[in-house]
Amino acid sequence: MEGPAVAVCEILKYLIIHQRCETAGVSKGALLEGQLVISIEALNSKHQANTLHCVTTIAAAGSIYGGLVLKKFLKDMQSILPGFFANLNWTSEEASHSQDASGLRSFQVIFEADVNPRTLMTDSLVIKNFLRKVISVLPKIRFNFSVKVNGILSTEIFGTPKFDATELPCSRIHPVLGHPVMLFIPDDVVGVGLLGELTLTPAVALCPCPKVFSNQLNRISSISIFLYGPSGLPLMFPNSEQPTTAVFKDTSYFIDGKKCRLCMVPSLDLSLDRGSVLPDVSYQVESGEGEEQSQNMDPQGQTLLLFLFVDFHRGFPVQKMELWGVHTLLSTHLSAILRESHSVVQDCIQATVDWALEQHHQAVKAHQKLQASLSVAVNSIMSIMTGSTNSSFRNTCLQTLQAADTQEFGTKLHKSFHEVTQHRFLYHCSHEVKQQLLPEKNEAEQNTEETHENSSLELLAVIRVDTVALPGFGYYSVEYWAVESAPGCRHPLHLHGRYGGGTGEQTENKRLKRGSQAVEETRAFRSAGALSPSEAASRRAEPTTAPLTSSRSRTDPGSGLEDTLWLQEISNLSEWLSSGPGP
Amino acid sequence: MAFTPRGPEASFFEVLDQHRASLLAALRRGGKEPAGSGMRLASSSEVLSSIEKIIQDIVTSLARNEAPAFTIDNRSSWENIKFEDSVGLHMVSHCTTRKIKSDSPKSVKNFALILKIFSMIYKLVQSNTYATKRDIYYTDSQLFGNQTVVDNIINDISCMLKVPRRSLHILSTSKGLIAGDLKYLEEDGTKVNCTRATAVAVPSNIQGIQNLVTDAKFLLIVEKDATFQRLLDDNFCNKMSPCIMVTGKGVPDLNTRLLVKKLWDTFHIPVFTLVDADPHGIEIMCIYKYGSMAMSFEAHNLTVPAIRWLGLLPSDIKRLNIPKCTLIPLTKRDQMKLDSILKRPYITCQPFWRKEMEIMADSKMKAEIQALTFLSSDYLSRVYLPNKLKFGGWI
Repeated sequence: MEGPAVAVCEILKYLIIHQRCETAGVSKGALLEGQLVISIEALNSKHQANTLHCVTTIAAAGSIYGGLVLKKFLKDMQSILPGFFANLNWTSEEASHSQDASGLRSFQVIFEADVNPRTLMTDSLVIKNFLRKVISVLPKIRFNFSVKVNGILSTEIFGTPKFDATELPCSRIHPVLGHPVMLFIPDDVVGVGLLGELTLTPAVALCPCPKVFSNQLNRISSISIFLYGPSGLPLMFPNSEQPTTAVFKDTSYFIDGKKCRLCMVPSLDLSLDRGSVLPDVSYQVESGEGEEQSQNMDPQGQTLLLFLFVDFHRGFPVQKMELWGVHTLLSTHLSAILRESHSVVQDCIQATVDWALEQHHQAVKAHQKLQASLSVAVNSIMSIMTGSTNSSFRNTCLQTLQAADTQEFGTKLHKSFHEVTQHRFLYHCSHEVKQQLLPEKNEAEQNTEETHENSSLELLAVIRVDTVALPGFGYYSVEYWAVESAPGCRHPLHLHGRYGGGTGEQTENKRLKRGSQAVEETRAFRSAGALSPSEAASRRAEPTTAPLTSSRSRTDPGSGLEDTLWLQEISNLSEWLSSGPGP
Repeated sequence: MAFTPRGPEASFFEVLDQHRASLLAALRRGGKEPAGSGMRLASSSEVLSSIEKIIQDIVTSLARNEAPAFTIDNRSSWENIKFEDSVGLHMVSHCTTRKIKSDSPKSVKNFALILKIFSMIYKLVQSNTYATKRDIYYTDSQLFGNQTVVDNIINDISCMLKVPRRSLHILSTSKGLIAGDLKYLEEDGTKVNCTRATAVAVPSNIQGIQNLVTDAKFLLIVEKDATFQRLLDDNFCNKMSPCIMVTGKGVPDLNTRLLVKKLWDTFHIPVFTLVDADPHGIEIMCIYKYGSMAMSFEAHNLTVPAIRWLGLLPSDIKRLNIPKCTLIPLTKRDQMKLDSILKRPYITCQPFWRKEMEIMADSKMKAEIQALTFLSSDYLSRVYLPNKLKFGGWI
């Protein structure tokens, strides 16, 4: 029997789309917020062997519920999940509206199903993966997901990342946003009845920040692709349309591997059970034939993250079921649509990847230059210090750095220089963003001015990719802010990313503890990162301000510097979004 | 065989002697050199201590988790340079500065290079050896990139420590030549006699030369080596004996300027320049007389404000009916340089120079000293210079 994962995900999608449609035009630029509790309680079935009777409860509180009519909801669910709906028992008398003590209206739906333990385990992982992808875009929505199997409870909270005090000098990634392109819909798909435009906007980032390992020539060791549909919701594919079996199997579809000198092969590591979000498509990058790995090459390499946002636009507000329809269309026909639009999609992605790689290359060069300079500085000081016959001078130097001898002094000197310069690099990592946004202002402003009267900014979401597992680097999450302009606007998206990191080993030590209510700390690598280059000014024309503070307020207070930099970036982004020519 | 000078009669030098007397009187009236801005030769231990102090400050900054930085005077900024008639161009006492930070991607390399050169100076001073700027560049040409980087850093360090370059044990390569009635002893004991028929190279250690002896009535600074050699060939030093001739072969190097300064300080004999009647020549003359912006921090050791412009004056062109075919039109670059010189603060107290430059600007023509050869091949040494010197044709 089918497990609860599909239903949970569809219901959550429904709630979020509903909320988006309700708030569109009311609070422009406002991020969706609220809390959703998903709990699955499973007990051994009394009627069937090796079967668990699962009672799944989805409860929503806060504005996520606002305006939802239960009857309409159930009716829509019947059409959205026909096969599922017929097979499950809805506890309709318990499906009720209630008001919690805070006065916020809440919503709750409960359904039951009998599944085998393996299915439940898989479904739990599927749900977690979905939640991680959702909170990447909608950080103000918090998910509390718990699974209780025969009395053993495990709980995980998504949306409140806590960060380790990482050793990494820069816990951000710096996404580069590409130009949106219009997608062509094949004739056989047109019949779905879409009355609008589909656009695709790519965002590319390297993870970890190149500055982390800039003393080595980092290579790209893997490519991860994340697919999102309208409203910033991750696309979910039925088995027949699994990304890996369709257009994505063609490794050259998205990126010209030869041009980027990346020999890509589809990754076979599709396991959900790794405590991190699974990309929709994953490639391993192999060393080319004849390529020798230089001594400076980092054996683990970096991951190229490619986020593809497919959005739907038309001249007037989109209805809930239309958005639902687009999601369904994309889930079932994405390959065909992408094949039809291959040329424009590939050009768009390639340009963005090229830019991101160029940024990476520049960052590596700059960091290498810094390292070389610091090395010269340290050696020069050591030369004077060791060559001096002035014992008072030497002793003073040793005492100042609390070094016992010259060797220790040299080590501490080197370390001190690194510490003071890395601090500036954190600053630069955050502030170079602003500079990257400045180009193409005039062109973009002109375009947006033309369309301004007929368009309005609608905040897509804040994208946060939670706990992307990167081999050797552990678990990272990325936060992005995405602002989408309504139809007619040429450049809809801002991206703003940051991440924090931790080691996989550390995460393992903090995995779910069965038998207790331990909460796994999702190791976000939260990157307050770089707003993407080149696109920002175009978006700046719209006056809507993205509400940017609340999710950050839930961050780990352990990194005061990150908080300061994050808030600085947030305020900068708000200014950019709110500035620009008025109507 | 040693050269036996046979100069003109004593009466020939009457005007020159009067000029010298007036210069000496002016010196007496002006009193001693202004205090405070001159650079004194620092001892080795002082230089080493200064460098150690800088290193200590850097280490202390790092211990406080602060990025160390150098504070450098803006040597080449007009706002930091003032003109004094008695000195020329020199740096103001409280000048603007800039920071070379270790934590800025733009300046970290410069920060490191300054430390690198500090360490090299430290070793030179400690071992009492010397190196030229070129030597320093070639110790790691890839690191430094180009000679200008090294030159600028060395000047910055000299300014920072307030010691002349010599105290840093860094020498500049001499390219200048001397000829005439001058003898001296170099630091290593070598006796030098410039009265020989061929010119002597300007020594690399000007501060170290001692026992200067001359009877020269004047010192003639010649812009170009070609003119200098021509005068040597014409036996000018003998005909105009006793005199001294110096050339910096164009823009003078530090040692040539130091030598001219030392000769003036030691003998207070009239100093004249013989430059082309073009903006470049005038600028070279101004460097000897008033100093350069780049070296303004060491102006007191380098400038000779008493220098007079002997020739080739733009007004001489018309006066001597120099053929127009020998004249060259001013280029755009010449025009810009001429305009720039006219705007400099020291020109305001040189009305005759200004007038000559305005003649040049109006005619839009320039002339090399070699133009005089169109009058006769030895016109320069036989007629032009002797007349100028005898009758006071300088401004």
